[in-house]
Amino acid sequence: MRIRLRDSLVSMLVVVAGLSVAAAQAPAYRAPRTADGKPDLSGIWQAMNTASFDIQAHSASKDVPAGVGVVEGNDIPYQPSALAKKRENFAKRATLDPETKCYLPGVPRIMYMPHPFQIFQKPGQITMLFEYVHATRFIYTNGTKHPEGHIDWWMGDSRGRWEGDTLVVDVVDFNEDTWFDRAGNYHSDELHVVERFTPLDADHITYDVTVEDAKVFSRPWRMSMVLYRNRDKNAQLLEYDCYGFDEAFHAPAQSQ
Amino acid sequence: MAKLFLGLLTIALLVVDVSAQGPPPPPKAAPPPGWIDPRNPPKEDPSFKAPRTPDGQPRIEGEWAQASDIITYSIEDPELERAEHTAISGQRPMVGRPIIDPIDGKIPYLPWAMKYAAFLHEEHRKPSALKYLDPVSRGFQEGVPRINYQGTFQIQQFPGTVLFTYDYHHTYRVIPLDNRPHVNQNVKLWMGNSRGHWEGDTLVVDVANNNDQTWLQIVGGFHSDAFHVVERWTLTSADHIVYLATVDDAKVYSRPWTLRVDMRRQKVEEQWESAIWEGNKTPEIVAGGDK
Repeated sequence: MRIRLRDSLVSMLVVVAGLSVAAAQAPAYRAPRTADGKPDLSGIWQAMNTASFDIQAHSASKDVPAGVGVVEGNDIPYQPSALAKKRENFAKRATLDPETKCYLPGVPRIMYMPHPFQIFQKPGQITMLFEYVHATRFIYTNGTKHPEGHIDWWMGDSRGRWEGDTLVVDVVDFNEDTWFDRAGNYHSDELHVVERFTPLDADHITYDVTVEDAKVFSRPWRMSMVLYRNRDKNAQLLEYDCYGFDEAFHAPAQSQ
Repeated sequence: MAKLFLGLLTIALLVVDVSAQGPPPPPKAAPPPGWIDPRNPPKEDPSFKAPRTPDGQPRIEGEWAQASDIITYSIEDPELERAEHTAISGQRPMVGRPIIDPIDGKIPYLPWAMKYAAFLHEEHRKPSALKYLDPVSRGFQEGVPRINYQGTFQIQQFPGTVLFTYDYHHTYRVIPLDNRPHVNQNVKLWMGNSRGHWEGDTLVVDVANNNDQTWLQIVGGFHSDAFHVVERWTLTSADHIVYLATVDDAKVYSRPWTLRVDMRRQKVEEQWESAIWEGNKTPEIVAGGDK
């Protein structure tokens, strides 16, 4: 009996070790597939961090929860003059932040606003709908390239492809009027964003972002966070129609 | 005016007997051109049977746009619209008349509401206050049904869900088909809360939780937060949808009323960004200038 127990413990250890090796070598999780065999990312998702306030590590302040930051290594490689502008943005953030004017927040900022978004997936196109200012993203995964241009868009132009279980989205054609957060982190119209959405398990997606902008940063830099599936029974997108046009600024727009 | 409006509204609330509201009576005289039986619109292609999606829905996917010559200036008075557009642009637009019931093509306001609608109409060229300006002109969302005669839109279908994405103002509607109840009535939404189901080749959508801020046209066309819409999207051929929206609002209208819009299939194109107020300098100017 004792010998058999020891044997089975050994076998279990071998199995566990084998699993660990497998986990290190290959994705531990294989996402369910859509009809065309791609990982199915559909559902209602939301980031659960403080990046919308400040993508870098920060202490708490009034109405701002503290956060460890989502920037890899925490430092953003601003060119010297750009760092000065970032600091000025921070000092004047109450009026300069485009969010205060209810503008479309750009990518990646829309992905970690504290509101849910929903992914719908078709062969050739992924549609992302956001509760925040009813923003939309259409990510074309049909092999098409970015349109000729430069085009000044708030949300950029998104073209996606699959690398294994990871959706890789290349985003260009931004204007220079959006920020990354409420802390004044900014970019120019040369912003180039590469997003990587990797299913972690049924209810989590790892969201990695590479940012480059030769006018503002001295080298590319990265952010990483997890997107969480909203599993509440009645989860659905509502509206947060921030209004910033004429006589006053409302957030959200008054509904009655 | 605001006090008068509130007073009239109070009176209206007192005198309206909600139980008297029922389905629209069938037209007694010969129906006007364009009138169709909402429950059974004739098929453009009599042999047409809508193909099915893998989960069994009639396939309504694609890109569509209204082909009923409706411009949102006035859905009640297309001659006024024609005159206005001719004056502005020198071009005489076609005139669409979407309201098929009642047969006079007018919104059947309660008497007090008729007066307020007339006031908004007077105000629309040079409003004395911003709240008398068309909410869409101010950058708010359109609401249902107005968004459906605004421009081009795409329909995508998924198991249990129909999704509308509109070119104008990146507006979208997620319509679940699983008979789930509307959200609590305390939740008011610009685009309402949509719940759908299929009846044959007709997508029926019940739209509740509407706020009282959207208009049906530039010259007014208001409603209260009791506004409720039932839409019927019927495929009558591969490239044609009859769209019927029956509207009720016991606080503002004397009876439910119905508008019809014919939708034609369009070539599917990428939906590019349609920002509305972004980049417009008016907010800074009006707010006193931040820069």
